Amino acid sequence: MSVAEYVYDQDKVSTLLSTIIRNNGNEKANAWLQQRLQLHQQTGAIPQFNQTFTAIPRFTGKERIRISTTEDEQLQALLPSFFVHGWTLDRLARVWWLLQLPVANKSAYLEVLENLFNSAEMNELAALYSALPLLPWPEEWIARTSEGIRSNIGIVQEAIMLHNPYPAKYLPEPAWNQLVMKAIFTDKPLHGITGLDERANAALAGILVDFAHERWAAGRTLDPMQWRILVNFVGEGNFADITRIWHSLNSTEKEAAALVCAQCQYEPAKALLATDPALQAEIQAGSISWDTLAQKITK
Amino acid sequence: MCGIHDLTEKDLQPLTYSPAYLNKIKGMRFFDPHVHMTARTTDDYQAMADAGVVALIEPAFWLGQPRTGVDTFRDYFSSLLGWERFRASQFGIKHYCTIGLNSKEANNEKLAEAVMEILPQFIYKEGVVGVGEIGFDDQTPLEEKYYRAQLELAKEAGLPVQIHTPHRDKKKGTQRSMDIALEHGLEPHMIIVDHNNEETVKEVLDRGFWAAFTIYPFTKMGNERMVAVVKQYGSERIMVNSAADWGISDPLAVPKTAALMHESGIDLNDIHLVTYTNAVKAFAQSGQINEADFDVAANIDQSEKFNGSSILRGGQQPRIDKNTTIIR
Repeated sequence: MSVAEYVYDQDKVSTLLSTIIRNNGNEKANAWLQQRLQLHQQTGAIPQFNQTFTAIPRFTGKERIRISTTEDEQLQALLPSFFVHGWTLDRLARVWWLLQLPVANKSAYLEVLENLFNSAEMNELAALYSALPLLPWPEEWIARTSEGIRSNIGIVQEAIMLHNPYPAKYLPEPAWNQLVMKAIFTDKPLHGITGLDERANAALAGILVDFAHERWAAGRTLDPMQWRILVNFVGEGNFADITRIWHSLNSTEKEAAALVCAQCQYEPAKALLATDPALQAEIQAGSISWDTLAQKITK
Repeated sequence: MCGIHDLTEKDLQPLTYSPAYLNKIKGMRFFDPHVHMTARTTDDYQAMADAGVVALIEPAFWLGQPRTGVDTFRDYFSSLLGWERFRASQFGIKHYCTIGLNSKEANNEKLAEAVMEILPQFIYKEGVVGVGEIGFDDQTPLEEKYYRAQLELAKEAGLPVQIHTPHRDKKKGTQRSMDIALEHGLEPHMIIVDHNNEETVKEVLDRGFWAAFTIYPFTKMGNERMVAVVKQYGSERIMVNSAADWGISDPLAVPKTAALMHESGIDLNDIHLVTYTNAVKAFAQSGQINEADFDVAANIDQSEKFNGSSILRGGQQPRIDKNTTIIR
């Protein structure tokens, strides 16, 4: 039976993660995890819980996990957008281990997590932030997530920003906008941000246009993917900027401008796109899309 | 520390050439088992990587002035495990650390008690290769108390101990450090006695401990003296480090010493032992060092692809040309 503190079927997810871990781990690692789990269930001792969280990579190793299509589908059905691809086994095992902490006493639970965050090393931090979509009382982790976005450590930023459904679901608009801008500043692949289109907003569109002007004034380039966020906010105020990248000699910028024109509701933009029927046709046929652009950019 | 040399205009000019010693050690790999990178700049990381340093150990120590609260210790320890580790990885260098309460701050009993309480949270972390640097400074009773307590901690965790030996009354302080470690049942092969000199090395080696030497201008070893030590004592259980920190020190001390040893006719195999292998061996007893990781750190793939998604792996820092007045 699932506990109310969790906003998803925690039992099923925990069981499924446990299966994936078992399929990826060797006998020794699996036996150790089982033994630690039994001990934890018997004693409930917090120092033992923390020590296991820390020691996990010593036993599981850090190989990249493999996950079957069936397991992937099951996980997606239970937790849409939750993403474990590319994770190492120690990270997955740490995330699973967090699910074994009892939720009977909320303040005790929060204290344990707070302490784990505050004394975490680099890979522990990445595991903790990766676990955000699975933690109970989801609204309790908003401030912690905003704090994590301020981190300067690459893998910590990635754990929060990329393929993590938590921020889009729970962050208030200013914190969300900060996440997107920090992702841009730290060269993250923007298409990897879960909820990038859904959480686009007028304030962020404005910040991005100002940012583009700054970059241009400094003679620096921009990630063409940022224009995607403007799709629903094209108007008189920023059409000149869309027109500017439309005329860019860089083909990815021009394609980004074309995609914005094709998807926005602003008539002059539609008219601009119509001046290049070949490009328009490619977009209609789907041979140019934000996905193809993303592939070009990350190549 | 300054004022020993008369400075001329020439001494103040930046280097505009690649130093000749770099050629002598081309292709060699170094492990600096004692260097305080939190006190150093990114230029130092870059220079260390260029000179062949593939991995290093940052011992926890004091910060030039005493701390007043346990939280600053907690933040310091976690910066060694977090930010500093990431910073090193950006230059392809694998960063390890040792965690401990240093001897100077052991003299503040109230604070020392609080630090002892949080140490167990940190010593089991990934990449913590020992308890250190601990030992004596002034050789006070409080220093002894916390040195002993931390030896017990290391014993329980099965971790090597990195011992700081005092500047003043060094010989006796070194002997006492070893006696106490043995008294607590630690094996000499689990103990790295640091900051040795010509006066201490023989006993340290005879008793089966690791002997580390710090190449640090004016106050510790010079590298010409180091060459003589290796010629006399060989390369078994001896290791060289820079202990570079916020004082006048040199983060390239290990590669420079290797170059000088090479120039002085010391066998390449011996050089490799004292500037790489011995330190790796001593601290790998923690179970936390995997040499294969050095190559991983050195070949960071900026954007690993998975299922069509690019997953960034903490990209390396771009290089800037220092020989131009233009900054972009």
